[in-house]
Formats: sequence, C-alpha cells, structure tokens
Amino acid sequence: MHRIKRIACLCLLLCMILFMLTSCGPKMVTKGDKFPLMYEERPVSIIILPPMNESTAADAKEYYSTTIQEPISFTGYYVFPYEVTSEILQMEGIYDADLLKDLPVTKFREYFGADAVLFTTIKKWDLSYIVIASTLTVSIDCELKSTKSDQILWRYNGTVVVDLSGGSSSSVVGLIVKTIVTAINTASADYVPYARVANYRALNTMPYGKYHQGYLRDKEQKFPDQEKK
Amino acid sequence: MKRRSLMSLLLFLIVFSMISCAPQRMYYWGDYSNTLYAVRKDANDETLLKHQKALEQIIEESNTRNLRVPPGVYAELGYIYFKQNKKDMAVKYFDLEAKTYPESQVLMSRLTQAANAKTNKD
Repeated sequence: MHRIKRIACLCLLLCMILFMLTSCGPKMVTKGDKFPLMYEERPVSIIILPPMNESTAADAKEYYSTTIQEPISFTGYYVFPYEVTSEILQMEGIYDADLLKDLPVTKFREYFGADAVLFTTIKKWDLSYIVIASTLTVSIDCELKSTKSDQILWRYNGTVVVDLSGGSSSSVVGLIVKTIVTAINTASADYVPYARVANYRALNTMPYGKYHQGYLRDKEQKFPDQEKK
Repeated sequence: MKRRSLMSLLLFLIVFSMISCAPQRMYYWGDYSNTLYAVRKDANDETLLKHQKALEQIIEESNTRNLRVPPGVYAELGYIYFKQNKKDMAVKYFDLEAKTYPESQVLMSRLTQAANAKTNKD
C-alpha cells in the first residue's frame, strides 16, 4: 500500500514536470513548418549585405559586420566573402542601407551568382542605465530573401540582454556570455561578443545548407516562435 | 551500493551524451574574427598584415586537419593580393575558391577578369 502511494506520488510529480516543460515558455514551431520555402528552393549560396543600422551607435554597422560570415558558414551555406562583396558594392555606390532596400534582389543573382540575400538590421546596440542596474542590449533582425522568387525564405531576431551590474543569470547562454566577458575583460563595453551570441540565437533556427551534415534532415527541429506574441 | 552505482552510471551517460552530441566543427576559422575586428577598429599596415596572416593560417591549418577551407577565405586572400597588384597570386586564389565552392564561380570569374586586366607587380 505504501509503495503504491509512493509510485502515484512520483507519477504526479513527473506529470507536473512534463506539464511545466510544455506549457511554460513560448510556443514552439518546427523549421519545416515555419520556413517551408527553404526546403523547396534549397538555396546554396548567400550574400551578406551591409547591415542596416537602426541603433543609436554609429559604429555598430562596422563592428557587427565582422561577426556574421563565420556563423553562417557553419549553418552549411556558401557565404560570399563579405570583405570582397561589400567593397564591390561600395565601389558601385550602394553601401547605403536605403539604396540596398530598393535594389531588386535579382541583381545579386546576376552579378554575384547568389541564391539568397541576407539582410541584417541592427535594432539595438546600446547600454542603458536604470538607477542601480545597467544593461547592454544587442538585437539583430535577420531576413533571408530569395533572388529567384523574391520571397522571404527565413527570418528571425536574435537578441541578447546582459545585466552588467553583476546580477546572476541562470541561463546557459547567460553563462556563455559571462565567460566571454571575463575573457575579453575590457573596461569599455565591447559589443562584439554579444553580437556573436545574438547571431547564434538567430541562426540556430535557420534550416541547414548543403555543406552541413544535417542538410534536409532538420525539418522537425523546434525553436521558439516569434511572430505571434 | 546498488543505487550509487546506478547514479554514477546515469551521470556517466549524461556526460557522455553531452560530449558525443557536440557538433563536429565543420571549419577552422582560426583568428579570423579577431584580426578583422582589429582592422575595423584601426585599419593600418600592421592590422591588415595580421589579418592576411590569419587567412593564410586558416588555409594551412584546414589542410593539415583535412578540413574544407571555409567559404570566402581563398577569395578574400586573393582579393588582398589583387589590391596589392599581385595578379598571379590573386588569380591563383580566386581559382582555388571556385574549385572548392562551385557556387562562387560567377563572382570568381568576374574577379579573375578584373585581375587579368591589371599589370603584374610581383
């Protein structure tokens, strides 16, 4: 009798844990459901455009652009060398964000041979001080557009908010961020390591490309949905 | 006693799964983002040379580790030679990029054309 009670108790606990795990947090979606066009069109090559800067930091664009090529390569796509393509664009007189937005994306297929164009927008790149706490925020909107169909293939936002006042953070990413902070150890706020984490968060949801071993096998991978909040 | 060994087995399994699930690094990027960041902060002969060295080191290390050289690295190095008017070296690396990644063909042939239009300065 005692034993049955104990088992029932355990079952209840397990149910509660499961319930908490499923009900808490944002709605989860799969890569296949959210970004079906990625699996239909199967782009292979991506050209990264100079970021658009909507933050208050004028130098954000220059620094952010050093962080994006590497992580995209790890998702399995051919990434055009940003240092080369951005200079070509600049020579053509299209370095400005507004000009880029208006340019037909098919041009990038003609000139570079790119299957898709990655637009990045720096939404936030700042420090804010609130009485006793200071937080650093890096927020990046990413959008991948097809040069074939002109459709949006993938879109996600990566945001990192770091409490600089020394409060404890329990999340794994928080820990990673902390380690990076200690490693860099500069007096001035260095945003680049956080930008890397923001990129990682966003690119985590991008279906893998041809050079990744999980190519076309990641449709069931889940991530938090961002559209309906 | 039995419980203890069970616990240690469980712990072992968890640790093991964490190790084995870690994704295989596809590419070696070396010091790339750091040297590039230094160039952005202050582009001078020293930082530029360091970045060029980082690119060369990526190629070397990738080859010894039997990894594919990351996308864009050959091309970026070729472009540095292109700007230094070292035409033959530039063409060599544009060619390597195109061979490693056929997706880059369109841009690489464009760059090769531009390089060939230059006069060599070795």
